[in-house]
Amino acid sequence: MTNTWYLYLFFAAALVFAGLLGLLLRRSLIKLFIAIEVVAKGISLLLLGTGFAKDNILVAQTLVVTFIVVEVSLVATALALIINIARQAKSLDIRQLSRLKG
Amino acid sequence: MIVQTALLIGLVLFSVLAILLRDLLKSAISLAAASLLLGVVFFRMNAPYAGVFEISVVAGLITVLFILTIALTKAGDEVRESRAVNWVFPLFFAAFIIIDALVMKGLLQKIPALASGAETGTFGDVLWKGRTFDLVGQIAVILAGVFAVLALFRKRDKHD
Amino acid sequence: MIILFVALPLVVAGILPLVGKVSRRVVPDLLANAALLFLLVYAAITGRHLIAGGPVLQQLSWFGEPVAIRLALDGFSLFMLLAIALVGLAACLFSIDYMERYGAKANYYALFLVMVAGMNGLVLATDLFSVYLFMEVAAVASYALVAFGLGQDELEAAFKYLMLSVVATAFILASVAILFGMTGSLEFAAVAKALQELNAGAVVGVASAFFLMGFGLKAALIPFHAWLPDAHPSAPAPISAVLSGLLIKVSGVYALARIFLNVFGLTPALSTVLMSMGALSMVVAAFLALGQKDMKRMLAYSSISQVGYVVLGIGIGTPLGIAGGLFHLFNHALAKGLLFLTSGSVQQATGTRNLDEMGGLAKRMPVTAATNLVGALSIAGVPPLNGFWSKLVIIIALVQAGHPVFAVIAVLTSVLTLWYYLLMQRKAFFGKLNEKWAAVKEAPFWMTAATVLLALLCVGIGILFSSTVTTWIQPAADVLADGVHAVIGSWGF
Repeated sequence: MTNTWYLYLFFAAALVFAGLLGLLLRRSLIKLFIAIEVVAKGISLLLLGTGFAKDNILVAQTLVVTFIVVEVSLVATALALIINIARQAKSLDIRQLSRLKG
Repeated sequence: MIVQTALLIGLVLFSVLAILLRDLLKSAISLAAASLLLGVVFFRMNAPYAGVFEISVVAGLITVLFILTIALTKAGDEVRESRAVNWVFPLFFAAFIIIDALVMKGLLQKIPALASGAETGTFGDVLWKGRTFDLVGQIAVILAGVFAVLALFRKRDKHD
Repeated sequence: MIILFVALPLVVAGILPLVGKVSRRVVPDLLANAALLFLLVYAAITGRHLIAGGPVLQQLSWFGEPVAIRLALDGFSLFMLLAIALVGLAACLFSIDYMERYGAKANYYALFLVMVAGMNGLVLATDLFSVYLFMEVAAVASYALVAFGLGQDELEAAFKYLMLSVVATAFILASVAILFGMTGSLEFAAVAKALQELNAGAVVGVASAFFLMGFGLKAALIPFHAWLPDAHPSAPAPISAVLSGLLIKVSGVYALARIFLNVFGLTPALSTVLMSMGALSMVVAAFLALGQKDMKRMLAYSSISQVGYVVLGIGIGTPLGIAGGLFHLFNHALAKGLLFLTSGSVQQATGTRNLDEMGGLAKRMPVTAATNLVGALSIAGVPPLNGFWSKLVIIIALVQAGHPVFAVIAVLTSVLTLWYYLLMQRKAFFGKLNEKWAAVKEAPFWMTAATVLLALLCVGIGILFSSTVTTWIQPAADVLADGVHAVIGSWGF
């Protein structure tokens, strides 16, 4: 059982890391959002893999289904923001959008 | 197990491709492929509901939204990405995979997991009766998303 | 019916767009404010009644079958519900006038109510995943609210806020998955019990670290604060008030406190980490606030600093420390809410947030100047206002628990806080009236009413602090101080 969990955890961690790395390195707003999507995949795999390894697959599925619903809302909002930014600034480069200093 | 591992490797590959590819459209399609593979992985884990959601919603709906955005923001063509990404990314990623493989095995041995009882009921039972508050939350988050999109796309006559 | 706290705002939010088609202003204003007023009254009066006998656990049933909506109302959650309703109502009243120029008021109120529903749901949840879910509900609503003005600054700030929040989500869910894997359950009581029986130090450490990073980002603790100084100033003033006054505390501090004190249990190591992070935020953000020219940006950094105080207090772990931290959370919610609202009044009157361009506004906007002064002095910790008492309790708790160094740092930071707030007050309100503002008028009725309400509360709580503490703060602190046992014992579902 631990081996199965290990398998899924390994890949889930790889996905999350890839996504986070993408968030750090990419510049186009849309690519940044693709990176966020990859992170979300990693998390769903993590949740489901954990459920599978613990024989709790039904609960894990409800978690993943709810998570996907949240993800859709998030994507819709983010893409709405991106479209608005593109219209206003005529650019999708995150470096151009550094009017705020953070 | 072998098939599952192969699918998972494919998943990671397509995801990394989605991040690294320069062309936005190809990126979106690569992401959709990754979602498909993930859906199949879910099916093979005896999680058909999650698999269906993943394929229809993430590979389907979200990809459509992405392509819509790409089409509506043609300005995105001109974003010049840094060249460094092409070698920095694989380097760090490979390093992580190695650390991941070594560390996680050791960590997992240390987790004294409690045996969990057998699950009863069907998926429907668990969702509707077992996690009903989550359903309220789902409705709330959908409302939030809908209102957000409505607010962000409203006609502006005058703004701040 | 505890579920009303979540259901009412959602239902009203749902019908608002329909109502908005018929009546663009009056009815949405009325509906939204009435909903929040109801929540406030319900929390203040009925809530106290309900928990007189210990935590209330409600299991709902629909059509005769028990349905798993398990909500727990104990001292801590009721306290947060009250704070949310209070500041929410004030911000909503303020919005009646302020949001006129943004348009789409029904849509705005709908988002606002969904955000409130999300925060209430988070506070009432009894399992780890529900905490995450309602956190996201409030978060998605807040992204749209930050960007509501559709100007470039706002959109950019909202996007950066979104990106960092997603990172927080990833860490939080990773931790939830680890705990699920270890204990096979997601409910607070069950997880707490299981963790006590297991002995998995290293992995609990990893899970704790992930939670700290995730919720720390939501609470804007340094070094996870980067999104706040952009997001809070760009949002419309009433939203800034709710974000700084409530959201960072509900999604960040409440979740942290609930999980670390009631599920994991506060170990000495954890206590040190929390206290150090709190102290770090407290000091660094205070210095960063000093150099700010933008009024709302200064307030934003101050929020980071004050949340540091709260985390420092709760991190001590002693009953007094926890009480002090919670009291300060409440006071800051009121005072910072007030300050963001007055900054909105100033921004509407003068069109700028730049302190250097202002001057002498007290002559033209006396009420706003006075309420701003109350808010500033409250946060700076000047007696007899409420902020003084909460900071004093934290400092005494630090000394009592044997952390004199932290106590000194807290006192010095208070002095620094007083300094930059007086600077802000002087630049904006006192001094000679800049001719540009000669024609400026006092803020419209609802805006001033909302600020006066909060200011009166600051003064009132300052004077009546001991009864406030015994009635509201102490029950909340007791729940936390009981630690894991509060949840295992009294919440045993």
